[in-house]
Amino acid sequence: MTELGAGVRRRMLLRSFCVQGSWNYQTLIGTGLAFILAPALRNVYAGDGDALARALGRHTELFNSHPYLAAVAAGAIARLEAERVPPETVARFKAAVRGSLGTLGDRLVWLMWRPMSVLLGVSLVLAGAAWWVGALAFLLVFNALHLWMRAWGLKAGLRDGLQIGGTLRGVPFQQMGNRAAQAGALLAGFAAALAAAPRGSHPWQWGAGLAAAILGIALGRRVRAVAVGALLLALAAGLVLART
Amino acid sequence: MSPTALQTAVLAVLGGLVALDGTSVGQFMVSRPFVAAALGGLVVGRPALGIGIGVLLEALHLAVLPVGASKYPEGGPPAVAAGAVFAASQTTAVATSGTVLVAVLLALGFEWVGGWTVERLRQFNVRLAGAPPEGLSPGRLARRQGAGIAADFARGAVLTLLAVLAMDAVLSMVDFSGFPEIPLATLLRLAMVAGLASALRLFGRGNYPLFIAGAAAGAVVAWLR
Repeated sequence: MTELGAGVRRRMLLRSFCVQGSWNYQTLIGTGLAFILAPALRNVYAGDGDALARALGRHTELFNSHPYLAAVAAGAIARLEAERVPPETVARFKAAVRGSLGTLGDRLVWLMWRPMSVLLGVSLVLAGAAWWVGALAFLLVFNALHLWMRAWGLKAGLRDGLQIGGTLRGVPFQQMGNRAAQAGALLAGFAAALAAAPRGSHPWQWGAGLAAAILGIALGRRVRAVAVGALLLALAAGLVLART
Repeated sequence: MSPTALQTAVLAVLGGLVALDGTSVGQFMVSRPFVAAALGGLVVGRPALGIGIGVLLEALHLAVLPVGASKYPEGGPPAVAAGAVFAASQTTAVATSGTVLVAVLLALGFEWVGGWTVERLRQFNVRLAGAPPEGLSPGRLARRQGAGIAADFARGAVLTLLAVLAMDAVLSMVDFSGFPEIPLATLLRLAMVAGLASALRLFGRGNYPLFIAGAAAGAVVAWLR
C-alpha cells in the first residue's frame, strides 16, 4: 500500500471545501470528488500519467453525498486506490455509500444543526446583543460541527477504507441530531416570543404574536408563501392609503 | 442616501463571495440571510440596520432546505443587497416600516431569481461533467472545477449588483410618508414570529414542550426589558 503523507491529506482536506464547485445535474458532485482525490491519486500513480488520467476520469462519474461528508468517501476511496483495489470494487463502494452519506448529513446538518445554530444567533440579536455577537455565535456553533465533520471524515475514511460503514454506525449522529432538535425547539420558542413582543408592547400585541406563532407552526414550510402574500397585500394597501 | 459607486462595487464582490459560500466553496454559512445582510449593512457603515432586516429574511428562510438536487430560493446575495440598500436609505436610526416592507419583498423576489440562476448554472456545469475514455489530467480537472467556481462567483456578483440597483431605485422612488406605520410594523413583526415558530416543524412536533418552555423564557426576557 502507498502511504499518503501529511501534505497529501492536507491538500485533500482543503480541496474538500470546493467539492460542490462544479455541481451539475448529470454527475452531481462527481467532478468535485475527483478534484479532492487528485492529490492522493498523483501519489498513488506517480510516474504513470496515463493511469492517473484514467483514474481521475473514473472518479468524475456520478457521485453524491452531503458536502461535509464527501471527505469520508474521498478518504476511503483514496485508501482503496492506494491498496490497488480493482476499479469495479471501488465503483461498487461509491454506489453503496453515496446514498447514506447524503441522508446522514442532510438530516443532521441541514435539518437540525443549521436551524438550531441560526436560531441561537437570531435569539441573541432579538434579545439585544450586538449584531456581531449574534452572527459570530451562529458561525462558531455551526462551523464547530462542520469543520469537525470534514476533518474527522477524511481521517476516518483514510483509516478505515471499506470498513467505513461500521465506523459511521458507531458515531452517534442520530443522538446529535436529536439533541440539536431539542435545543432548536427551545430556541425557536424563545426567538418567537422575543419577536412577538417589542419593548413596551400592549396585551393585544402579545395575543397577535401568539396567534402568529400558532399559524406559523400549522403552516410549516408554507409560511413563506403565506407571509409573502400578506406582505404584498400590505404593500398594495399602503400604496393606496399613501395616495389618499 | 444610496450606496456610493465604490460601495456598490464592494457589495457586488461581497455578493459573489456569499454566493460561493452558499454552495460552491466553503459553506461556512456566511451566506445565511441574517449574516449576509449584516455584512451588506457593514459595507455602508450600518451593520445593525442590516442585520435588522436580515433577521426578518432569515425567519422566512429557515424552512428552505438545500437537499440534493432540490430547487430553492437563494438567500445570500439578495440579503447582502437588502441589508446595504436598506441601511443606506435610512436617514435616522429608526427604520420606517414601509421601507422595511419594500426591501424585504424585493429581497424575496431576488431570492427566487437567484434560485433560478443557480438552476441555470447547474445546467451550464453539465458541460464540465464526465470525462473522455482516455481520462483527465489533474490540470484539466482543476480547470473544470475552477470554471464552475468562477461562473458561480460571477453569477452572484451580477445578481447582487442588479439587486442593489433595483432596490435603490425603488426605495428612492416610493414616498413612504403616507404608509400606516403601526399596522405595517405589526404585520412585519407577525411575519417574523410565524417564520421563527414554523421552525418547530423541522425539529418535530414531539418537541412542543421545549418550544413552549423557550417561549415562556422569551416572554420573561421581553417583559423585563
